[in-house]
Amino acid sequence: MTEIAGAIGIVLMVAGTVLSALAAWGVLDFPSPLSRMHAATKSASLGLGLIAFGAGLAAASPALAGIGALVAVFLFMTAPVSGHMLGRAAYLAGQAGQLLHDDLAGVAPDPGSSATAAEKKVSLRRPAVLVVVWVILWRDLAVGTVLGGLAIALFVESVLRVTRPSPRLSITGLVAFYVRYLGMIVVSNVRVAWEVITPRNDRIREAVVAVPLATKSESVALLVANAVSFTPGSLTVDMTSDPFVLYVHVLHFSTTDEVRHAVAELEGLATRAIPERAPA
Amino acid sequence: MDLVVNVIQLVLGAAALPALIRVGRGPTLVDRIVALDLILLLLAGGIAAEGARRGSELFVPVIVVVTLVAFVGTVVVARFVEWRDT
Repeated sequence: MTEIAGAIGIVLMVAGTVLSALAAWGVLDFPSPLSRMHAATKSASLGLGLIAFGAGLAAASPALAGIGALVAVFLFMTAPVSGHMLGRAAYLAGQAGQLLHDDLAGVAPDPGSSATAAEKKVSLRRPAVLVVVWVILWRDLAVGTVLGGLAIALFVESVLRVTRPSPRLSITGLVAFYVRYLGMIVVSNVRVAWEVITPRNDRIREAVVAVPLATKSESVALLVANAVSFTPGSLTVDMTSDPFVLYVHVLHFSTTDEVRHAVAELEGLATRAIPERAPA
Repeated sequence: MDLVVNVIQLVLGAAALPALIRVGRGPTLVDRIVALDLILLLLAGGIAAEGARRGSELFVPVIVVVTLVAFVGTVVVARFVEWRDT
């Protein structure tokens, strides 16, 4: 049993290494700043997640594997954020490169919105999640560890501005979302990797496409925007709210409809994962 | 196991080279920070592989810190690029 896990771990580590190396080559090889971002951060994040998780399996260490999975989850949340911010900065600085199609031209940057006092609501679930992460990081379930984590989590909860009520989550919807999404990640990683391996970059056709979302829910819009950004080949460059419109930079542009279809499918899955609250 | 980890670390180290060239070449600040971010992720990958070789969990906080630094650094530079000209 441990031998099988060890073999799987080694395979994962090798896959992660290949992915990271391809990402590095893509950073050198691709023609424009935004296209380089497609190759770089996302593939390398997934690569690192695979290496860390695989290392845990290979070393037959549940703690290491757990941390590896945690690192992977962490990267899944941070890579789209930094990608989005860098992409937006590059676009605003006029470094987007040659675009075949640009829906974002002339759109004023959205200042964004923050929670009003009425929307602020203390949640117990968020600190609970933080405490669990804290205990996993310490790998120690002592009373002191839990109390320390609890103190920090409550402090964060009371100070942070991110205080909107947590959305309702559907477990089966989330599972369906991530299973389908994992498939999309694999396909797009292979596609970008192929682009890196082949010497000429003649299939790169960059464009920025506006994708209107049907949802009114901020959480769904956020999940979709992040998912789009973590997939190599598409990157959320900007987003306006009310109604939500994503501006997606794509590496292989053929038609705007194709991009909108792909995002609409993700949005459908995300809506089922985070169902709308019944109006109170 | 030892051999696999050696190869993995060698490949990851070699992969830092094209990224390093991109850091030097630029031409934009965004290119440089993307490449530097990538180098940090490669470094974290090498450390994780070392953890597998030694079967040790001591490297775990290092991995967490390195990835955190990569993320915070990237976000800060992105903010800087965005506000520099306004």
